Amino acid sequence: MKNILKIMENKIPMLILMMLFLIIEVYCDLTLPSYTADIVNIGIQNTDFNIITSIGLNMMIMVTISVFATIIVSYISSKVSSSYARDLREEIFEKILSFSNHELNQFSKASLITRSTNDVNQIQHVLGIMFRTLLFAPILAIGSIIRVFELGSNLSWIIFIAFIAVAILLISVISTVLPYFKKTQEIVDQINRVSREILLGIPVIKAFVRQEYEKNRFDYYNREYVRVNLKVFRTMFILIPSMHLIMNLMIVLILYFGSFDALNGTLLTGDIIAFIQYSTQMVASFIMIGGFVIMLPRLLVSVNRIEEVLSTDISIIDGTVTDNSSNDIIEFKNVSFTYPGAERKTLNDINFSLEPGKTTAIIGGTGSGKSTILNLIPRLQDVTSGEILLNNINIKEFNLKNLRNKISLAPQQAVVFSGTVKTNLNKGKENATDEEMYEAIKNAQADDFIKNLDIEVSQGGSNLSGGQKQRLSIARAIVGEHSFYLFDDCFSALDVATEKKIRERLKEITKDSSVLLVSQRISSIKFADEIIVLDDGKIIDKGTHNELKERCSLYKEILSSQLENIGGSL
Amino acid sequence: MRRDKREVSKPNNTKKSIKQVFSLLKDYKLKLSLTFICAVISTLFTVISPILIGQATTLIYDGIIQIMNHTGTINFERLYMLLIIATILYVISAIFTYLQSWFLTQISTDISYNLRKQLIDKVNMLSMNEFDKNKRGDILSRITNDVDSLQTGITSTFLQFMTAIITLVGVFVMMLTINLWMTLVTIILVPVSFIVISVVVKRSQKYYQYQLKYKGSVNTQIEETFGGQDIIRAFNQEEESFNQFKEDNDNWYVHEWKSQFYSSLMGPIMNFISNLSYVAIAVLGAIFVLEKAITVGDILAFFQYIQNFTQPIQQITRVMNIVQTALAATERIFEFLEIEDEENLSIKGITDINDKITFEHVRFGYDENDILKDLSFTANKGEKIAIVGHTGAGKSTIIKLLLRFYDLKSGDIKIDGININEYDKNSLRSMVGMVLQDTWLFSDTIMENIRYGNLKATDDEVIEASKIAYSDHFIKQLPDGYNTVLNEDTDNISLGQKQLLTIARTILANKKILILDEATSSVDTRTEKLIQEAMDKLTENKTSFIIAHRLSTIKNADKILVLDDGKIIEEGKHRELIKINNGYYKSLYEQFKVEGGVD
Repeated sequence: MKNILKIMENKIPMLILMMLFLIIEVYCDLTLPSYTADIVNIGIQNTDFNIITSIGLNMMIMVTISVFATIIVSYISSKVSSSYARDLREEIFEKILSFSNHELNQFSKASLITRSTNDVNQIQHVLGIMFRTLLFAPILAIGSIIRVFELGSNLSWIIFIAFIAVAILLISVISTVLPYFKKTQEIVDQINRVSREILLGIPVIKAFVRQEYEKNRFDYYNREYVRVNLKVFRTMFILIPSMHLIMNLMIVLILYFGSFDALNGTLLTGDIIAFIQYSTQMVASFIMIGGFVIMLPRLLVSVNRIEEVLSTDISIIDGTVTDNSSNDIIEFKNVSFTYPGAERKTLNDINFSLEPGKTTAIIGGTGSGKSTILNLIPRLQDVTSGEILLNNINIKEFNLKNLRNKISLAPQQAVVFSGTVKTNLNKGKENATDEEMYEAIKNAQADDFIKNLDIEVSQGGSNLSGGQKQRLSIARAIVGEHSFYLFDDCFSALDVATEKKIRERLKEITKDSSVLLVSQRISSIKFADEIIVLDDGKIIDKGTHNELKERCSLYKEILSSQLENIGGSL
Repeated sequence: MRRDKREVSKPNNTKKSIKQVFSLLKDYKLKLSLTFICAVISTLFTVISPILIGQATTLIYDGIIQIMNHTGTINFERLYMLLIIATILYVISAIFTYLQSWFLTQISTDISYNLRKQLIDKVNMLSMNEFDKNKRGDILSRITNDVDSLQTGITSTFLQFMTAIITLVGVFVMMLTINLWMTLVTIILVPVSFIVISVVVKRSQKYYQYQLKYKGSVNTQIEETFGGQDIIRAFNQEEESFNQFKEDNDNWYVHEWKSQFYSSLMGPIMNFISNLSYVAIAVLGAIFVLEKAITVGDILAFFQYIQNFTQPIQQITRVMNIVQTALAATERIFEFLEIEDEENLSIKGITDINDKITFEHVRFGYDENDILKDLSFTANKGEKIAIVGHTGAGKSTIIKLLLRFYDLKSGDIKIDGININEYDKNSLRSMVGMVLQDTWLFSDTIMENIRYGNLKATDDEVIEASKIAYSDHFIKQLPDGYNTVLNEDTDNISLGQKQLLTIARTILANKKILILDEATSSVDTRTEKLIQEAMDKLTENKTSFIIAHRLSTIKNADKILVLDDGKIIEEGKHRELIKINNGYYKSLYEQFKVEGGVD
């Protein structure tokens, strides 16, 4: 809760101000019944019209003050809850931007998105209600109690009993329902899961003619959902009628015992009327609190989910060294990497270097750790042991901005952003001129579909094909000059001819830089100056295509399987 | 409680969706009548009791006056009587309120159960054509979110609407029996409050629309930024992204708090109005008491009626949003349910293929563009057919047509000379087994996943099939063996292993015709070899169609179909095809040899 509450800190003055106006509001509202008592006790009993109208005037004043106070309370509460949500989103957004892959892997991206949207909305919504009920109700209750004691009757015990009854009711209903809330959530998840599975599997389901099977699978959870829902609703719906019953029975008791006090002259009729109204208001405020408590479990889920994000420690710490030389060399020295919680090392004792003008390639099966190597260079995640040196200084010492400025990355999954081609390329080089952009587009062989820079790119690049996205992503990677170009299997959706053309252009562009290329296709990497064969996180051989072809058995195996596989060209 | 989770969306055709809601309620006439009766009884009693309480108060007041004038005392007998009746009424009213919600929850959960069931049935019965037209996420949200908001809509709004209206009427009548003028004072405030509320709502609606716009762009930014977070970091774009986000986030806030403020004004305004009537009743009431038009207790009764009067109005305005959301949800649910099921008119069964499968001048496209233009070929029983062609050439389309997922634009597909349209779709599909690259498994045990191929298979048969598919070995190495539950993303086993499981599933199914889509590059070399061998075993003695990527498969095929531009351009065995001068297949083969580095 620490981080979430901290954001509330600078809103405390506003909250205090709001409390002040809430007290004014409650005070004004609570004067009304005692004014009524005065009307009955003094005005009616003495048949005094003047007193009645002057009390009426006083009441009008109170009502007017009250409405202004309430409006101010609404104003402050909307401002506070909205600005709180804004600050919370900002905080989460900034936090997640600073996540390394390590932290990203702890959450899924989808879950991070719901946390910063739905969960924040949930909190904001409850916050708005909370200001009006959770703060208002106790003030109302306390005010009513004070008023009751001012009336000086000895009937307060009735209120006490009502209070106990309401408390018992609330606690027992909520404690019955709470475990079911969790269960409901689980079943909802199951229903979602089965539905999603069916939606994804329609072709298979049709082919196997398994419609009935799927219906039954879904029906099981559907029935379970109904069962639990009925239980939850039916328990919760006890609350309101019983609360009202308690309140009404309290009124009956007040009248019953009040009549004795009236008989011996200790209680006036007007006071009984006022008393009934105060006690009603008190119980009503408890009902409000009860209604709020029911929302708590959901709120707490959201709070915890956000807190998890905010309290995550960032594993990547910025360094201070900056280096603007252009002759950069990166060296991997005994680098190992293990995913947190994993037993096996993803990378094991990796040694190689990237030098200007040299093209290095990595080949290996899925899960051999190729992409991990690439991610370590711009410190998207950090090595577990060993070190990566940039010009003989550990990259952890470098200023992150400075380090990453030297590096360009084209990832396996081509990620493009909504906006235009221009805004996408700006991510690669902020102040790139139009000429530079057109040049990059041409080099990435993307000029066939990008005729001008203002072409719209929709969210997730949904208006582009896989190959177009890859070429745009490549253009972004080469629009700026960098010392290191990292290409992570980013040609996979391109046909061989296009890939070849791009590779030829790349040779020209990167002639003074280092290139690190990851691929599964031997045809993509065989021209490299050095090919690293990676298997199960270990480098099992390094050399040129011709060398490896002769001596490396795994390389030969991959080669022969790809000779077999003409899928690349067909 | 849940309404904030979704936007308040409006139905396009309110009248129609209200009709649809009523059509859902039609089957619950008895329970609805019971609910209604309960509601009437409970509100009636709630409405009567303030009069009794008022009379009791008057009794005490009169008693006190009499005591003071020494003319008598409080009429306790009558007082107790009134209080006892009031207590009974309160208890009955509480019981019936609860009964009413009891019936209503039954109705609403039952309706939502049925809707979910119907929606899933619809998903299962849709033709592929219709299915393609809908986004999966969209269907999913109809099954979950929309049904939920309809359910909340029915329970909360129906209940509140009904009681609100009955209460309003009841209270109005009761107030009239006490005093006309006091009633008028209270009533006059109703239209006034509605006018004020509608002004405020209009204002808030304006800001609501604005904030909705910024909300959308903030959400888009969140999605995109988190999705491409590594790219943003790698290119040092954190600050840009953050600033861009901050701008929209701030804009959202500016409109959002206003929208919230205006809509929250409803509370203070209603409170003000009920306070005004309170004062008016106190003063007017006192004057009427002095004029002997009413009694003191009537003032108390009126106070309670004011509360009963403003509460339902507040409730109605509050639930309007929920009603709109529920109606919009209803509309979306019905829109989906009204799609036609996949037609399956023919009942002729088919169990085996005796001779051959023929495609004759098949023309097909998912839209007006044709993917297959004039496709003809013959596959004889027991033949292994390799289909070769560019991505997008229509290889997998051929398969979908054979399964009758889609209907042809023209031409015929025949099995043993009979058009497949004449067979029952399910019996046709039961004859065909397929293994696709896009593996589909569900989160249950591995045992159940393989058994999916043949629901009657024993555990031993499942294990036997899995042995043939080379999956027994890795399954046994898993901590729970065959009882390992695949998790939701089925990522606790590798892609290659998943593929082996789907092969085992198809082996168990023992189909006459097989359709295989060979793995390309996503699987490591060793697993790929296993998959290859498993597929080879699977196709032994079966009529099979293979979307082929591997040279060995193609070379061993009984027939290679080379697909280009929606037509079969070359057809024959490998050694025949490479002999065709300037042939397409030959050129591909040559090009591959160069690119692949074959010396």
